[in-house]
Amino acid sequence: MIRLRLAFLSLALAVAAGLSAQSPDRQALWAERVNCVVAIEFFTETELDRRPTEVFGVVADDAGTIIFPAAAVNPRVTASQLKDFRVYLPGTPVTAYFAATYLGPDEYTGWHFIRVEEKARPRLVPVTRFARPGNPAPAIAEELWGIGLRKKDEDFAPFFLSSRVAIIQRLPQRTAVLAQDVAGQGMPVFDATGGFVGLTVGGFGQTFVQYSARDRGGLPVVMVNPDESSAVTLAEEVLPHLGRVPQNPEGRPLAWLGANGLEPLDPEVAAFMKLGGQTGLVVSEVLEGSPAEKAGLRERDIILTFAGAPLPLYKPDRVVAAYLDREIDRRRPGDTVTLGVLRGDQRMEITATLEDAPTLPREAERRYFDFVGLTVRAFTYADGAVRRAKLASHRGVIAHFVKANAPASTAGLRMDDWIKEIDGVPVADFAGAAAQLAAIEADRARSEFVVLVDRGGETAVLRVKLK
Amino acid sequence: MLSGLLLLGATLPAEGAMKRGFNRLLDAVVRIDVREVEYDSGTRRFSAGVGSGVILDANGLILTNAHVASPNAVEINVTLASLERVGARLVGWDHWTDLAVLQLDQSEVSRRRLTFAHAAFGDSTKLHPGQTVYAVGTPHGLTRTVTRGIISNTRRYFADAQGVRGYETGSFNTWLQTDAAINPGNSGGPLVTEDGEVIGINSRSYLGADNLSFAIPADVARRIMAGLVRDGVIRRSYIGLVPGALQDLEGFYALELNTGLLINSVDTGSPAARAGLRGGDILLAIDGRPVDGRFPEQLPAIQNLIASQPVGATLKLAYRRGTENREGAVMTEPLESRVGEPWAFEKWGLSVRSVSRTYARENQLAAAAGLIVIGVQAGYPAAVAGLARGDIITKIDGQPITSLDEARQAYAAYEAKPAPTLVETSRNHRVSLYVLKP
Repeated sequence: MIRLRLAFLSLALAVAAGLSAQSPDRQALWAERVNCVVAIEFFTETELDRRPTEVFGVVADDAGTIIFPAAAVNPRVTASQLKDFRVYLPGTPVTAYFAATYLGPDEYTGWHFIRVEEKARPRLVPVTRFARPGNPAPAIAEELWGIGLRKKDEDFAPFFLSSRVAIIQRLPQRTAVLAQDVAGQGMPVFDATGGFVGLTVGGFGQTFVQYSARDRGGLPVVMVNPDESSAVTLAEEVLPHLGRVPQNPEGRPLAWLGANGLEPLDPEVAAFMKLGGQTGLVVSEVLEGSPAEKAGLRERDIILTFAGAPLPLYKPDRVVAAYLDREIDRRRPGDTVTLGVLRGDQRMEITATLEDAPTLPREAERRYFDFVGLTVRAFTYADGAVRRAKLASHRGVIAHFVKANAPASTAGLRMDDWIKEIDGVPVADFAGAAAQLAAIEADRARSEFVVLVDRGGETAVLRVKLK
Repeated sequence: MLSGLLLLGATLPAEGAMKRGFNRLLDAVVRIDVREVEYDSGTRRFSAGVGSGVILDANGLILTNAHVASPNAVEINVTLASLERVGARLVGWDHWTDLAVLQLDQSEVSRRRLTFAHAAFGDSTKLHPGQTVYAVGTPHGLTRTVTRGIISNTRRYFADAQGVRGYETGSFNTWLQTDAAINPGNSGGPLVTEDGEVIGINSRSYLGADNLSFAIPADVARRIMAGLVRDGVIRRSYIGLVPGALQDLEGFYALELNTGLLINSVDTGSPAARAGLRGGDILLAIDGRPVDGRFPEQLPAIQNLIASQPVGATLKLAYRRGTENREGAVMTEPLESRVGEPWAFEKWGLSVRSVSRTYARENQLAAAAGLIVIGVQAGYPAAVAGLARGDIITKIDGQPITSLDEARQAYAAYEAKPAPTLVETSRNHRVSLYVLKP
């Protein structure tokens, strides 16, 4: 333990020495703030392997709650496949780490939450400690700084990054984009006085044009840095939500309206429709049995107001779709929402009562049959919606995983095939399919079985040879 | 030595006859230059191509490939063996078998006193693998090129959903496979025996492979040619079955060998679906005629049996579901391509195709209505508004667009009095609105 702490101190000093020339108190700010970030490692257990993921986390409170960005977890995996969460302190030998428990995802913020074991907590400082009163936004050209972390082989050593604010936009969260990378992905950013400014967000690619000596036309190439970022979601969008700790690993309840494909109106169209400088969202689909359908919302209705207020105007225009999604995600099942819609030439108000979303594919029951080389999972509402299948036809199971070169894949089964019949017997539900496949797998005298699958609305009979 | 001479002496007259037949064939092979209109860039553009063909009667009827001469052709010129060029018109085409029939401009032929030979069909059902054959045509524009090879396979099966310029091909026929060198430009030229009998129409090759080439057999070509000459089109019936080969599944379905056709899928909303058939059923007989779809090579004949019924005919289908034998009746509908009719609205800089039943089904659209955008011209109203390839136009100025004619009317109104026009589209089931501004 003592050795660890010494190692940490020596690294902090080394970094501080490099800084002292420009800004005498920044080394102290740095040393304090490094304690609000960690490196996280966890394993995703699949049918065949155990894949490690490394991601950076931010300490949310004194109870050992740590958040990390959504992109670190594959949306196809269930919470029970996420194993063995480990928390590493930056710059500390990776042989020493702390165990953590996965708490679940939060749909609204996109964060995943974990809780680290108690003995680690005294060494962590919540990022809230550095909040400034009123969470003021940074100014254009203001210099900000942040923390990046090296990889595991370098003990996740922290390093200093800084840049200046180039532009501030609403996307729909207020977001500052800086001239260069300012911190690791999902990591905190501070101002000159050490005040917390926000967390970086990923996915801000820069477009480059790649030229070659032969092809002078050049190809546009989007470059994304997976480790560091130059875009910062501001503190006002972060701090109020750090308390949204999920109640369960599934992140339930999930507020659900059931209006899909919300497409923003082009400003030219809004002007043509004489909407007076307002924008709108075209409802492409109203899902069967959803709160939106029950409330009487229809396909091609144009949503103009939400909760009594006109939809805000954003640039780019399509950000307004994310705004409405977030407004729904922020609420809870049982809450009512009022939409002002334009249907033809008629304006009307529609009040819907949000419900808890139907089971998601990631929550659906599943089972792997190793000999056949197939994971089947329960058919969910979402599976029906993407296939445009009526509720009444929501039976069968989904081929969730098909192992290469095993009997199922040799027969032509593919991931996301909809299995409707096994051995000529219609599949009623997951339990029935699982029992049938278990019996097939247990019967070593069996030479084959036959499945009827639906792929893109066309069915096919596939013969799975077991011998 | 003597016997050798004798043999030589004996073969001479036969060889002479063969030579005459082959020379006559050579005089019947033509080069075809086609100029045609294309719609896919937001406007009408012209393109040119070269293919081959063979004259098959004294009135100047020429057989070639559907991918050489389509209804988009605006100008067809034929170069005869005499090197004279003469105009021709399209009599009809059939992309399913990749065949088209042209006719030489007879008034031009008689005015210029042009002469030509015509070839005759051989019997493609009597061919055997290893038999020597010749391909004659215009590979890469090299007029009157003869290449030699053998029949590699007499009954090759492949169906290609987009094989003839995006149109389906191969569902209703098998193909002759040959290793005679066939290159781009050979298309539509004849595959012939040593004595010049036309036993196939060369159609396609595997690019990058060594001489794996395919021809439509003469027995198919003869039938299609007669149909095109008589009606200008080949009408086929559709009931909506997607067949599969039973191959080794007989045991599972408790069937005798060589009995039945596996129904892999039944098209939603098709006559067969309405009659209650579904994927996994086994078709046993059509109007009392037993079907045998054990192997993939047998499928085209069964497909053709269904397709050759008159449109609107009622067919009795005997089929098996599980262990139960059932019967159903279907009324046939006209077979349609998945490729709808194209058009270009030039002042909008917008090219479209009508949505076919197949396209609607493949894309899970509620109905076969609307127009697919297949191209926009940069800087024109459609492109400026943001329309893009793949959008499906569902309404114009609030009026539902179910057919090309409705869109033509809307466009005519725009042409008469250009004004901002509201267009509703759907793309991946997402509805968007655009304004086309003059």
